[in-house]
Amino acid sequence: MHIPNSHATRKPFLSLERKRSLSGWAFLSVAACLIIWLNFYPMVRGFIIALHTGAGANMTLSNPIYRNFARLFEDPQFRQTVSTTFLYLIVQVPIMLVLALILASMLNQPSLKGKAIFRTAIFLPCAVGLVAYALIFRQMFAHDGLINSVLIGIGVFETGHNWLNSVWSARLVIIIGLLWRWTGFATVLYLAGLQNIDRSIYEAAKIDGAGIFQQFWKITIPLLSPIILLTAIMSTNGTLQLFDESMNLTGGRPGMSTMTMSHYIYQTAFVHSPNLSYASAMSFAIFIFVAVLALIQIKVGDKR
Amino acid sequence: MKKILAITLSILMLFTITACGNGGSGSTNVGSADISADNTVTPPPDSDGAELSGTIVVWCWDPTYNIFAMDEAAKIYREINPNFDIEVVDMPMDEIQTTLITTAASGTLNNLPDIFLLPDYAFQKNVIQFPEMFFDITDSGIPFHEFASSAVANSVVDGRNYGVSFGAGTTIFAVRTDYLTEAGFTVDDFTDITWGQFIELGKVVLEKTGRPMISTSSGGDFISFMLQSAGASLFHADGTPNIANNSTLHDAINTYLELINTGVLLQVNNWDEYTTSFISGAVTGTISGCWIIGSMQTAQDQSGNWAVTNMPRLDIPGGTNYSNFGGSSWAISSNSENAALAIDFLKHTFAGSVEFYENILESSGALPTWLPAGTSNIYMEPQPFFGGQAIFTDIVGYTEHIPAIITGEFWSEVSVAVTNAVVNILGGADITVALQEAEDTVIFQMGR
Repeated sequence: MHIPNSHATRKPFLSLERKRSLSGWAFLSVAACLIIWLNFYPMVRGFIIALHTGAGANMTLSNPIYRNFARLFEDPQFRQTVSTTFLYLIVQVPIMLVLALILASMLNQPSLKGKAIFRTAIFLPCAVGLVAYALIFRQMFAHDGLINSVLIGIGVFETGHNWLNSVWSARLVIIIGLLWRWTGFATVLYLAGLQNIDRSIYEAAKIDGAGIFQQFWKITIPLLSPIILLTAIMSTNGTLQLFDESMNLTGGRPGMSTMTMSHYIYQTAFVHSPNLSYASAMSFAIFIFVAVLALIQIKVGDKR
Repeated sequence: MKKILAITLSILMLFTITACGNGGSGSTNVGSADISADNTVTPPPDSDGAELSGTIVVWCWDPTYNIFAMDEAAKIYREINPNFDIEVVDMPMDEIQTTLITTAASGTLNNLPDIFLLPDYAFQKNVIQFPEMFFDITDSGIPFHEFASSAVANSVVDGRNYGVSFGAGTTIFAVRTDYLTEAGFTVDDFTDITWGQFIELGKVVLEKTGRPMISTSSGGDFISFMLQSAGASLFHADGTPNIANNSTLHDAINTYLELINTGVLLQVNNWDEYTTSFISGAVTGTISGCWIIGSMQTAQDQSGNWAVTNMPRLDIPGGTNYSNFGGSSWAISSNSENAALAIDFLKHTFAGSVEFYENILESSGALPTWLPAGTSNIYMEPQPFFGGQAIFTDIVGYTEHIPAIITGEFWSEVSVAVTNAVVNILGGADITVALQEAEDTVIFQMGR
């Protein structure tokens, strides 16, 4: 009876449970510190800068303190970039999600041959660098580029259209670029979701006499809804922060007609007479747009 | 035991990361301390050049142009002052601008080099916004009066000099003589003319050869050098924008619209398309800064078929055939421990050595805004690529006549607003309304 006795007298400082919990916290703390240092601290600093005015060493608190935020409502160029960005969002995101759903259901057909090739082909655009694809699109849609040559060749145009130099076609090119670049990504997410749906559900529905469309609407969509919600939030977030395409594909031209909010922020901070504080205020505006839209999407989309 | 190890390891990691953070800034301090230790021997600015010594750190872009010129300048200066060393850092133009802004915001001025290059259109903006970064070189003995006045004006704020101009951006009209002959013209028909005459001649060339006269990728650039050729700025002397009621701007925009509507000017989308358009022969010629000759000389098969003349003028009082597009200036950072050496270096090279400008001419094509260099014999040599024309003497001759303008702090805002207005006008908007909108936008952006 020696052993239990000693156990009773020398009770360990850390119980097994506490040890586990502590080591968990220790691991977490590294990541947490990094996130605080690299994410939250800059955000707080950014907010503090947004309350200031002036540049470099001559920063002073703005008067009134919310001045940079009030300016957002008076800035015609900011309004222009906001409406351009929302145009991209409203046109591109729904088309992309529907396209991705269709592609994913097609790729999920058990009878389809050469699945791996199709899946790879559809996902490959996502592996292309944003700047690289923007530059390639710029060349394709140039005045003497591939698209014009083809369209002239098949007789659609006689002299070719100056795609990137007219307001609406330049916006169209950006939307086409976004669709090409991101549809594959949503498709892969949907495919993963579809593979979790039991085939027997479809078989049962088929026996009950449901057609392909009924299966799609009554089985696929409801069971996929969490993933649809995820892709909707992710693409909304991504589109609102759109920068590379605006910067590299069109340069915001003609004029500022294809410029996104993020591009305008960059311009305000680094191209124009530097106004870091106003640029910070604008980036908080994007943050609020994203947060509000994500909240609406969660409220509408998540029925659990 | 494993858990204790895990805890110890993770705590260790945490400390390493924090230590790294501190270590980083620590080592920077050590670096700058080294430099200042080096420079305790630096004599005051007014002492004789030969006593100065040290290493000058330079930030600039373009290995074939600015960096090449800096290295050549160092070779020249080392003959005068053997105790001199240089470290040229290749840094893109946009990155220099970004670094200045972030450096100013964080207040870590000792990260700055001794000398850095800024594009002329952004020079005054940076001096006005970050006066703490620039060394006032007005009384340094650099002979600013020997430079083209329009080039010096770009780096002057409140009557004080902050930059040494380098690389002329004198506008030229470079044109294919074989195409002109095809249409029955010579270069002389295009010399000293107005835009109205240019459009009339251009229509004939377009009809006979099927080629537009010129191309551009940015209407804003085009309009801004048209304005400068008439000595007009987009700002009043008091710094307020001069857009809505600027009659020269109205003239320039109307000329631009007419160039597009007649098909004499071809609009392209970006710089690559632009250079391709005149190298491939899609257009007859081009109007741009004189540094553009570097791009056309890549097409050696066209040697002998090019000529250079001045650009057309606006048909208004004060309109000239000379303007500027591009160009940049060297600034000395206020924080430089080697400021005296840096000034002496610039004085004996960029602002004082004909030999230096001779050395860089052939490889880089960089033309001086320092006018005494234009007297060199090398500049008078006929250029086979340009059919034997002594283009360098001609261009230096144009440089002298360029009207000086105010760029100011808000140049970029104004040019974006005007470009946007031109797009709206092309889309059918009324010119008065569009320019009023542009002016309102700029006034808004200036009111911080």
